[in-house]
Amino acid sequence: MSSINLKEIRVVYHSSKSAERIALDSFSLQADREMLALLGPNGAGKSTLLNVISQSIIPGSGEVITPSSRESVSIVFQTPALDELLTIRENLMVAGALHNLPKNEINQRVEDIANELGISDRLNDQVRHLSGGLIRRADLARALIPHPSVLLLDEPTTGLDIDARRGFWETIDRTRKQYGMTVILATHLTEEADHADRVVMIRDGKKIIDDSPNALKTTFGDRIIRVNVKSDSDADDVCRWLSQNNIEYLSLGHLIIGKNADAAFASSCPIGSAEITIAPPALSDVYTFYAQSVVSESDSGVLS
Amino acid sequence: MIGTRATCALAKRELIRQTRQPSRIIASVATPLLIWIFIVGGFSNSIGSVAQSDAKIGAYTIPGMASLTVMFASIFASISLIQDRHDGVLRAALVSPTPRWSIALSKISAGSFLAIVQALIVLLTLPFLGVTITPVGVLGAIAGLVCISVALIGLGLALAWAVDSTQGFHGVMNAILMPMWLVSGAIFPVEDSAGWLKIVALANPLTWAHISIRSSLGMDTSYNSLIAWVISIGFALFGIIVATATISRTKRTNS
Repeated sequence: MSSINLKEIRVVYHSSKSAERIALDSFSLQADREMLALLGPNGAGKSTLLNVISQSIIPGSGEVITPSSRESVSIVFQTPALDELLTIRENLMVAGALHNLPKNEINQRVEDIANELGISDRLNDQVRHLSGGLIRRADLARALIPHPSVLLLDEPTTGLDIDARRGFWETIDRTRKQYGMTVILATHLTEEADHADRVVMIRDGKKIIDDSPNALKTTFGDRIIRVNVKSDSDADDVCRWLSQNNIEYLSLGHLIIGKNADAAFASSCPIGSAEITIAPPALSDVYTFYAQSVVSESDSGVLS
Repeated sequence: MIGTRATCALAKRELIRQTRQPSRIIASVATPLLIWIFIVGGFSNSIGSVAQSDAKIGAYTIPGMASLTVMFASIFASISLIQDRHDGVLRAALVSPTPRWSIALSKISAGSFLAIVQALIVLLTLPFLGVTITPVGVLGAIAGLVCISVALIGLGLALAWAVDSTQGFHGVMNAILMPMWLVSGAIFPVEDSAGWLKIVALANPLTWAHISIRSSLGMDTSYNSLIAWVISIGFALFGIIVATATISRTKRTNS
């Protein structure tokens, strides 16, 4: 049985008497002891989905099945959920009490997790005196105190520099293996989603695609072609050229991305001034391709 | 009992926070004391005659100043809910398995404790103003002040739950609480006020809390202290119920 099983979830927000926004629409999801990335733009419904899983909101319809109790779900928010006036240890003690753990048990877990995350020597420092990277680690420690079987990460590296971000993901990789957790990551960064075992792309509250990062990239072949042109007419010519060669492409103004291309093919491009890149597909290409496809279909009145 | 550990831990957190920002305590105590000095200094000669015969205006207004201290401390206590929401601490508590009433009770208990400690500083000026106080009297006064703080923090938490900005919260609280306090016998005796004002004052639960406090301290009041205690305790229970009921609601979305 999955750690998380969502069936046909629908969430509608009302901003006024007449205006309503569908945040999630017939959304189903299963996950068990894996890292799953929810990838989508701002407002796509990722945070709402995390709120449904953490039972912060009750969906209008659908079924939420979490075999483990609510005690086994922890969440790391976009901004740290720590009291800046308290020390790391005091914050972790509060986190343990919120999960009804006895004091001795909390003390033991604080020491163990602090050792694991490398913050033992800063446990008695007030949070307001810590760097952004340390605060993130302390916040992760807070989320790990109840030994969750499901860890929800809502854009957890917001505001971190590259080194702190790398350190955070190393810590996540290490701890998820140690605790055998299901990790659900909500992000709009494709490079972070690439860490996951599975990527679920969301747009306008709907699931666009659900597969592993490698499988998604494989559908684009070994190489993709990116063509940058300087005018609309050049873009039209490139699109025509790709179409004549049976290459599936996506036009983003003056940037055209085509699947399954090779270097030899690039030499036949009709626009001499075009900047052409042939490279292995990245998850960002896949995301752009699918996200734009849905927008195009939506614009034409046909929802996928 | 489920939630007890969380209530204690969250209440302890409130107390730790308080010790690390002493400016809040200073503001809560200093403002009523300054108001008291100016009111007594400015009006003692002109309204001294209407004050009760056995208590000069200075001593008469001390219970009111203690309740004003409690009021300010209660506003600080309930406004911290908005800050907790912005800091993310509240979100962490809401997604935890702890019952939501423990969030309300921790704020009310810690906030009331801090409010009473601050109000005691004001109350203990009474002997210097010629009023003899007894330990039992002080305990009674504390009980009355607890009723006020519990009620005001409870109502404040319910408001803070609905309001997203501290500015909006302050605006609404000031608009409601300051008139309530002014028409509660805090700075003039209800018995001697005009007819319409007396009706408004007697409909005000703070008036009855002041009567409870004054009767405990042995100050004369022409109203029944038993009725005053029943209303005061009822006011406190109302605050607890409103706060726990409001915070316990889970956001439900439409289908």
